[in-house]
Amino acid sequence: MAGKLVRREAGIGYLLLAPSLFGILAFLVFPILVVIWLSVNSWDLLSPAKFVGLENFADVFSDTAFRGSLLVTLLFVLMVIPLQTVLGLFCATLLSRALPGSGLFRVVYVVPWICAPLALGVVWKWIFAPTGGALNAMLGGQTAWLSDPVLALPAVASVSIWSQVGYVTLFFMAGLAAIPMQLVDAARVDGANAWQTFWQVKLPLLRPTMFFVLVTGVISSFQAFDTIYALTPNGGPRGSTDVIATRIYGEAFQTFNLGRASVMALVLFVVLVAVTLAQQFYFRKRITYDLA
Amino acid sequence: MKNIWRKGATAVAGAAVLAMAATGCSPAAENNTNNKSGSAATVTVRLWDEQVQKAYDASFKEFESQNPGITVKTTLEPYNTYFDKLRTDVSGGNADDIFWISGSYFAPYADNSNLLQIGSEFDGEKSGWVPAAVDQYTRNAKLWGVPQLTDGGIAVYYNKAMLAKAGVDPANLSWDPTDPSRDTFLKAAQKLTLDANGKSADDPAFDKDHIVQYGYNASQDLQAIYYNFIGSNGGAFQDGEKFVFASEKSAQAFQYIVDLINKYHVSPGAADTNDNGDFLRDAFIQGKVAMFQSGTYNLKNVADGAKFDWAVAPIPAGPEGRVSVVNNIVAAGNAKTKNADATVKVLKWLGSADGSKFIGAEGAAVPAVTGAQSSYQQFWQGKNIDAGQFAKAAEGKTVSAPIGSNYSAAFNAWKPIFNEIFLGRTPVKEGLQQAQDAANKAMGQ
Repeated sequence: MAGKLVRREAGIGYLLLAPSLFGILAFLVFPILVVIWLSVNSWDLLSPAKFVGLENFADVFSDTAFRGSLLVTLLFVLMVIPLQTVLGLFCATLLSRALPGSGLFRVVYVVPWICAPLALGVVWKWIFAPTGGALNAMLGGQTAWLSDPVLALPAVASVSIWSQVGYVTLFFMAGLAAIPMQLVDAARVDGANAWQTFWQVKLPLLRPTMFFVLVTGVISSFQAFDTIYALTPNGGPRGSTDVIATRIYGEAFQTFNLGRASVMALVLFVVLVAVTLAQQFYFRKRITYDLA
Repeated sequence: MKNIWRKGATAVAGAAVLAMAATGCSPAAENNTNNKSGSAATVTVRLWDEQVQKAYDASFKEFESQNPGITVKTTLEPYNTYFDKLRTDVSGGNADDIFWISGSYFAPYADNSNLLQIGSEFDGEKSGWVPAAVDQYTRNAKLWGVPQLTDGGIAVYYNKAMLAKAGVDPANLSWDPTDPSRDTFLKAAQKLTLDANGKSADDPAFDKDHIVQYGYNASQDLQAIYYNFIGSNGGAFQDGEKFVFASEKSAQAFQYIVDLINKYHVSPGAADTNDNGDFLRDAFIQGKVAMFQSGTYNLKNVADGAKFDWAVAPIPAGPEGRVSVVNNIVAAGNAKTKNADATVKVLKWLGSADGSKFIGAEGAAVPAVTGAQSSYQQFWQGKNIDAGQFAKAAEGKTVSAPIGSNYSAAFNAWKPIFNEIFLGRTPVKEGLQQAQDAANKAMGQ
């Protein structure tokens, strides 16, 4: 009797789960399986796919351009993550003070994040244009921001940071608001100045937010595509902005080598899993969720 | 012009294509009303030219009145990523019933049976098509598209006041990469390039950092610029499907173009033009460039945009004379269309003088159906513009646009290297050799 009831409840549970389970299977598991299948095939979208075993993996791992692309991606992440995190935290601290006009700035900071990244890319391309571009008009000269191999990556990274800071700020503001005032007051009674309060009380209590912001930030930076593609198609000057996502795009939809593109996508997947696990490992023993 | 809405390049990329195929999520599939019995059907037509889209819409209105039960809809896709998207859509069964295709890209579609063969049912129309277009799209003795546009040849739009002020006659300019004494073109371009103080580029006091007017539009433009320079110097870009552009004559032509930009400063830097194909056209329309070498595909843009007197002259003659690139565009039928009968009817309409006359009627482009071409000439004559210069270029020595079974991969292999060459950062000969090797490897040569 009890067993029947359990089975019935389980059945209802699965029924309720079915819609989201379908979503996960159709849009997550199935595509991953297809990518794995594609990675051992040679396919140009028009001819029939041909099984090639591990040939695509050997090709991709011996490809210096792909290794360069991994390095560019790493540089991009290293430029974007620290700056956008620090700036987001800085803005959140200022906006949390509820100064006059801070409501307006909260909205202003978030606007770039809610705009379509490709549209932003097009606008920034005009700002960076050597002739007639807004930036050169302000600074004078004819700097080729997006055509110079040294400047191109910092330029696209700065656009990415600019568009993400508002998002990071939102989360830090929520984190700061959740810190009980009595802890801050206690620190002040103990003689801590503003800097010490921030550094030794608020920041440690912001670790759950920091963990979330860093994990999502690192993942989205590794996958960055839209803005970079709009600003510097074809991998930028001398491949200097050829991040892994644009390389996968080029390999799949411009060179039409779906097998190689799939191998690259799998590499990106493995890298992201590893980075996320490392972050989780680091934060696991350093997070306090219970602030009460 | 960039098609920038698509985010590909994720782990689900390949799956998306397959999922589309699996669900039959396509214009062709949506219109699956099987028209064999003559019941209602919708035929979709994909193209990249906004001007011609308007002409098509007018044309299809008449077609629909003559063919009750068939509705024709046009879809516009931006040119820059047209062929990237087309391939994924054809693969996923998501392509339109009829789509435009150009000479460089049609081969793999023909080889993989993705296109309807233009067979004997078109015999009535075929005799009226531009022969060069029929030749260009015949592969393995079969025709794979209905000729729609013929670009004519390439010519030079020029700003009359600027040339008159500099005392330049554009009709008989010539260039020579090895003998400066025979080069009148460079001198003309230098005279037409002015700095903020009004000094021309041939003046020792010329300030290259403050140029306000450029003489010419040297840039990385295959159809309008470098293909013509290569041909006019006796060089070649391709031999069959093999790329040979690093050969001596071709390298001389490239060096000449790159020098126009980086040594003589008569054209804007490649940082502005490498990834923005419209920059120089816009600059010409804004009165910042004196001579703009291009094709009929920009005639309407220039006519509508330029607020000054302009005219059209022949391209500068090289050591081998004037050799102009010619290209034709066809409308191809999707082999997977669910409305085969209706699709063939629309294709036949597009291949007829009655259906094609709309293309020329508003001056949008030169129809590749000869019986419809008079509408184009009449439109421009009515506006006092002699469009005959482009036709003259096509009647002279010509070279066909590049072709290949894997052209897209080859193009993407040479493009980043060409970017560096035109920026002046990679020596021309060295860069061309790298680009040629990369392109041939990508093409499987």
